[in-house]
Amino acid sequence: MGEEILRMEKIDKSFPGVHALDHVDFDLKRGEVHALMGENGAGKSTLMKVLTGIYQKDSGKITYQGREVNYHSTREAQADGIVIVHQELNMVGDLTVAQNIFIGREFMHGPTIDDKKMITESRKLFERLKIDIDPSARMKDLTVGKQQMCEIAKAISHECKVIVFDEPSAALTEKEIDDLFAIIRDLRKQDLGIIYISHRMDEIKVITDRVTVMRDGTYVGTLITKDCSKEDIIKMMVGRVIYEQPKEKSLVPDDAPVVLKVENLNAGRMVQDVSFELHKGEILGFSGLMGAGRTETARAIFGADPKQSGKIYINGTEVDIKSPQDAVKHGIGYLSEDRKRYGIVVQKTIIENSTLACLEEYMSGISINKSKEKKATEKVIDELNIKTPSSDQPVVNLSGGNQQKVVIAKWLVKNCDILIFDEPTRGIDVGAKNEIYKLMNSLAAQGKSIIMISSEMTEILRMSDRIVIMCEGRVTGEIKIEDATQEMIMNKATRNIK
Amino acid sequence: MFIVNKGNKSDLGIMKEPGSRSKAGGRKVEKFKNLPFVKKVGFSRIVLTAVLILMYAIFCITIDGFAGKAHLMGTLNYVYFLGFLSLGVTFVIATGGIDFSIGPVMFCCALVSGYCFLNYGMPMGASLLLCIAVGLMFGLFNGYLVAYWSVPPFIVSMASMNIAKGAAAIFTKSMSVSWPLESADGGWFRKLATFNGFPTGLVIFLVAALICGFILNNTRIGRYILCLGSNKEAVRLSGIDVKKWEMAAYVICGVLVGIAAIFFVGVYTTVQPNYGDQYNNEAIAGCVMGGTSMAGGLASIGGTVIGVFIISLLQEGILAYKLGKDVQLIITGIIVIVAVYADVVARRRKN
Repeated sequence: MGEEILRMEKIDKSFPGVHALDHVDFDLKRGEVHALMGENGAGKSTLMKVLTGIYQKDSGKITYQGREVNYHSTREAQADGIVIVHQELNMVGDLTVAQNIFIGREFMHGPTIDDKKMITESRKLFERLKIDIDPSARMKDLTVGKQQMCEIAKAISHECKVIVFDEPSAALTEKEIDDLFAIIRDLRKQDLGIIYISHRMDEIKVITDRVTVMRDGTYVGTLITKDCSKEDIIKMMVGRVIYEQPKEKSLVPDDAPVVLKVENLNAGRMVQDVSFELHKGEILGFSGLMGAGRTETARAIFGADPKQSGKIYINGTEVDIKSPQDAVKHGIGYLSEDRKRYGIVVQKTIIENSTLACLEEYMSGISINKSKEKKATEKVIDELNIKTPSSDQPVVNLSGGNQQKVVIAKWLVKNCDILIFDEPTRGIDVGAKNEIYKLMNSLAAQGKSIIMISSEMTEILRMSDRIVIMCEGRVTGEIKIEDATQEMIMNKATRNIK
Repeated sequence: MFIVNKGNKSDLGIMKEPGSRSKAGGRKVEKFKNLPFVKKVGFSRIVLTAVLILMYAIFCITIDGFAGKAHLMGTLNYVYFLGFLSLGVTFVIATGGIDFSIGPVMFCCALVSGYCFLNYGMPMGASLLLCIAVGLMFGLFNGYLVAYWSVPPFIVSMASMNIAKGAAAIFTKSMSVSWPLESADGGWFRKLATFNGFPTGLVIFLVAALICGFILNNTRIGRYILCLGSNKEAVRLSGIDVKKWEMAAYVICGVLVGIAAIFFVGVYTTVQPNYGDQYNNEAIAGCVMGGTSMAGGLASIGGTVIGVFIISLLQEGILAYKLGKDVQLIITGIIVIVAVYADVVARRRKN
């Protein structure tokens, strides 16, 4: 490790309602790989976005190569030698590898593009990185791993001094990860500073020199990787004070019948061999980090996305759910994490949204019985305490928390027995959050069974009777609430399965 | 834009109208918008009706003899067929789709069934049913491709427009078809449009509009069409067969286009192959002018009816000015753009 190349001091950044970064410190040396770790929403990405000029910091100081910098765009940061390799690849599939690498700064030959020179230059880059890719191949014909290599090559072609890798290994195979690590080691030898964001604990141990841990927008600490254990890092990641008491014990009787049983469910890369049981009256927490495959599992069960294999039993009978229609028929309701896109019909009224899933029960002959509809809606508005002047308000006029309640209202009016709540409190204020918790508890007490997907550790511990933990498309653990600790959950959520 | 009408409850979880720009005049407009009568009928529909009356007044003042019965009947004659086209396309636009085939399909319906009546001795009643059946077929075709194959509605309807033209021309061997006059055998069907000088067509159209309004606002088909036009994925995830209901909108449109064809020949007698495109624009103009959003999810049958009257009166006025069909094409083109732009602006302001 060499001298310091980058120092970020007391970086502060707020968004409306969120203090995303609270006086965060970070430093990077030449020739080091520095891991940045933390749960979802810890502020890693925000910090990197501040560094590369995507966001502007509210206060704080960034020193790069001995001078203070303040970038206003990724372009400026790039020109200065700081580049970011994103998790999602930004490539144009129909262009060649070389064209992608030099996009926006093509070599010209008079008025025409000099493809030949771009190909020779790309070849030089690949030689330097010791990777074997044909620069004239079409980008879309490459594997995801190779595409990632091209992204790295593109970054290096900018003559950069600092590279940020944002979860680079998420989509790679084992062999490709080895190649990636070889490249990273090589770059380290060339004295570049490397920031490596990943959830995979094992990788952190293998490739990084230091680890900085963030939590809830604050800096927690920095460790020398070889001197610390995996458990040390996890403790730093989750070591928050929990204000709400976690649930002490499961409220579900031991002999509660199994209402939903999922066996060896497979649906794409994100859902592999998932099995679990849901009991009557239970709140089953689904924990895991971003991209663990929890939403994908929920959508596959609900029939929203196709599944490859696996069996689903409801109350002991196997059911064939091919579409949301089938799921709803079997009494499953799904509350999406993205309510604007998948939950509510914003231009329509609360009444129209509430009865959407079971309009057939509100018909008199061919005509909709609007007074019956209204009565049922006003009843749930009362039950859920939806704040609105009237039941015929378009949902667009409601606040986020109340919109969420309208989606819940839809499934209550339908009288579903199994409810899947995917991040039910995302983006809503504390008051509404507590109301939704109360509601979930009372639903469970009434004998409804709830799957609650949540990325918030406190929420998982406070609400669940039992916790299923997923990591990279697989179930990696199942813990009773009595035994659950933050460390235990995080350990299973960061387990790298190979 | 949303206005809270119960002031005492306006603080309850409701997002207030952002930074009202209205000055003194604006406040008067707001006050007018809040009158119970205005709220019930809809502000934009009142404005449209005012535009319609104003247009009629201007035509009466500037054109000699426009005030008479003849021009009124001329306008109504146009309303009959255009009204059914507009009602039909309102359902399709409500899903967020579009149908550019309605004009040529209307001609195809009239050509095929008229040809069968003239050359194969088909009874008039059966010919009229065939007319509607041809429209229904195109509705099924468009709807199936859009809903089940996910082909963009724009492409589907462009293609079926050409198919309708080509099929009709082949069927009639590229000849025009003249439907029987009232005195001739089978000429009774004209009484559907005008009966002893009484505008039966107007009555039928208004009844049809009431039925369409009922379908759109009071039945499952209408509810689902509007909801899926607004957010298809949310409706699908509510366990509703969105494909079926999306297709239903095109089928309703097809049937109404078939009926439009009957009124077209009931008034104008002769249809030629390879025509009909110009009515697409007019029907869509009538619909969007009435407040149906091109983005889907919002539709107003009442608005469409007024829109149809405006377009029909406009074409009658242009004829009376002796400006010709070409000027009318330009004007309806501009109307479509202005109406859609107004919708875009309204939505942008809402966000």
